[in-house]
Amino acid sequence: MVTVKKQSSLTALKRQEKRLGYVFASPWLIGLFVFGAFPMLASFYLSFTTYNMVGVPRFIGLTNYRILLFNDNLFWPSLWNTLYHVMLSVPLGLVVGIALALLLNTKIRGMGFYRTLFYLPNVVSVVALSLLWLWLFQPSFGIINQVLDPVYRLLNMEPLGWYRDARLSKLTLILMGLWTAGGSMIIYLAQMQDIPFELYEAASIDGANALQKTTRITLPLMTPSIFFNFIMGIIGGFQVFTIAYIMTGGGPSRSTYYFAYYLFDKMIHDNNMGSASAMAWILLLITLVLTMLALSLNRFVFYLGEQK
Amino acid sequence: MKKTWIVSLLLLMTLSLSACGWFGDDDETPDGRIEITFWHMSPVGSDAYPGTRRIIRAFNESQDKYFVRGTGLNFWDYWDRIGVAIAANNAPDIGFHTLDNVILRAQNDALYNLSALIEADLDAGRPTIEIEAFLENQLEFATYEGHLYALPFTATTRVLYYNLDAFAEVGLTEDDVPTTWSELYDVAKQLDKVSGSTIERIGFDPTYGQGTYHGYLWQNGLDFFDEDLEVTLDTQAHVDVLEWMINFNTGAGGFTRNQLNTFGEGNQMLGLNPFAAGRVGMIIETDGLYQTMKIHGSDINFGVAPIPVPDEDGIRINWGSGFSIEMYNNKDAERLEATWAFMKYLMDYDTQMELAEVNGWLMAHYPAMETFVQGNPILEALLEEVQFAVDKVYVPYAPNWHANDWQRYYDDALSERRTPAEVIAMARANYLQKQENFEAAN
Repeated sequence: MVTVKKQSSLTALKRQEKRLGYVFASPWLIGLFVFGAFPMLASFYLSFTTYNMVGVPRFIGLTNYRILLFNDNLFWPSLWNTLYHVMLSVPLGLVVGIALALLLNTKIRGMGFYRTLFYLPNVVSVVALSLLWLWLFQPSFGIINQVLDPVYRLLNMEPLGWYRDARLSKLTLILMGLWTAGGSMIIYLAQMQDIPFELYEAASIDGANALQKTTRITLPLMTPSIFFNFIMGIIGGFQVFTIAYIMTGGGPSRSTYYFAYYLFDKMIHDNNMGSASAMAWILLLITLVLTMLALSLNRFVFYLGEQK
Repeated sequence: MKKTWIVSLLLLMTLSLSACGWFGDDDETPDGRIEITFWHMSPVGSDAYPGTRRIIRAFNESQDKYFVRGTGLNFWDYWDRIGVAIAANNAPDIGFHTLDNVILRAQNDALYNLSALIEADLDAGRPTIEIEAFLENQLEFATYEGHLYALPFTATTRVLYYNLDAFAEVGLTEDDVPTTWSELYDVAKQLDKVSGSTIERIGFDPTYGQGTYHGYLWQNGLDFFDEDLEVTLDTQAHVDVLEWMINFNTGAGGFTRNQLNTFGEGNQMLGLNPFAAGRVGMIIETDGLYQTMKIHGSDINFGVAPIPVPDEDGIRINWGSGFSIEMYNNKDAERLEATWAFMKYLMDYDTQMELAEVNGWLMAHYPAMETFVQGNPILEALLEEVQFAVDKVYVPYAPNWHANDWQRYYDDALSERRTPAEVIAMARANYLQKQENFEAAN
């Protein structure tokens, strides 16, 4: 009897905790449904309609999708620009982030200052950063071309046009994006702190050098955070918009006209909410598929303490 | 202690949330009057805010039936906010928009029919808005199926600004201000100033400021679209105009593309209007440049004139692009009555004069502006050009035809990545595709 009473009392307590949990989580849950789920469902419906944002949406079936996929001269170029951005910015971002973390994981004086310094661009607004880089990459007067001037002279070549050159513009924006690699660096650093010192000690006894310790211990044990940043990089990469909007306006020759930029224009400038919604769902689908493919790489991730 | 913390936190949250929802710039209470909302572009802290607030208050104090609550939004925020508000059926009772696309909102029942309100006033013998005070070329854009659905609020115009100091430097006077394209070229070349291979000043460049391709087409009797909104961007004359724009300063114009690019980048780095910075001798700009130079105390001695026209059969015309004032259909008879009363107040002679003073805009009420500009030769010249200002047509399948849609092709021609003939053909194909897609979806 006593046992039963205890169990019942425990269940009541659990129920109360559960209720309280929901109460505390309710602001987030309300936010999720009102500002997340509802707009998503609304945009799914709108993707099957023609809607100019003034009148009433009218159902037109799959027309928006058909037009985008088969009769829109900017859909595929904008998708290609975005894929290009993802394919280059994600691996480059990983490499730079890891390299920074390895550099900033050493024990030298003022390390806290350096770590803060490299993380700092992440707390600056993207707009401000874009404007800053606009000046730095400015082809005629920018400091980057000024610094490279001796190289140009040596090679007898014209200064690079950076974001003004359709062949280099995407790459320029990717290079600019690396400025914020400090964000992933912090995650790598945190993971590095978790690697047991004994492993390095044992490796030292076995005669491993610094490179071997890095490639055989540090990097394998960092794979969970590398994997995390890889996934987040893919998702974030497909949403690239602000830097192109501020720095290049999608040009030159639409070379930096990314998918999200085109979606924005469809809605704001063409008053075509139906088509913009269809683009949003296509983007979600592409991101989802690529993320699922990326998740299949999970088997190469090594979790410390995991039994395999 | 715990309770104090919780109460303090709740209070803080409540205040924060209240602050989020409140954008009004007048804290008076309507004391039982019919309250309406008016969105304008003079946010708290802007130069025009005190004047706008004074104008709204004067209306509120002039009668005891209606109360207008003004909300000032930054120009750059305004368009997104009003667009979303209209889409969400949550528009203010009265606000500004762009005159060129009134038709979109009128045909979707988002606006009140002003012609009906004017007629009702006339039938009842009440004072109403004097439509004759507004220019026909502006009213046309506020009309849908023979009825007015908005009124022109401001009267933007584009003119040629010329730097008289630069003129004097090369021995020219105001009598030499060009009136045709060939005169423009001759004067511009005299004003060019080069040091070594570096351009110090360009006399004129058709692509600078508010020099637009469609504006130059109009001067030639050409356009992007015909009256049925079919694409007409397909003749050699279209190509010729674009070539004239692009080659004005290259080749025989005396400069290389590289020199021009470097000069253009220098202008961008300065962050100033190149005319205000003394880097171009003549430029096409809106009346807004006059206001900017006045506010910043520019010491450049300048004048304004009609944009020079093509030598043969050139048409005196410029791109208008003014604001409209619109009454949003909130389906509330009482608020409609209050809004109409406020609309009549805003659009009368005295208020239009005051609005011009407060905002530095040329307003749409022509007789009021005739008085307002008296004694100021620049404003007088600007107002004269308002009569030749025409807005761009609203094309449902390409609402942004003049900017976003055209810009990428224009950029390609400007940077010589493609020839003018190529970009014209590509732009035409793009408009046709947009039309086809629009028709398929609507």
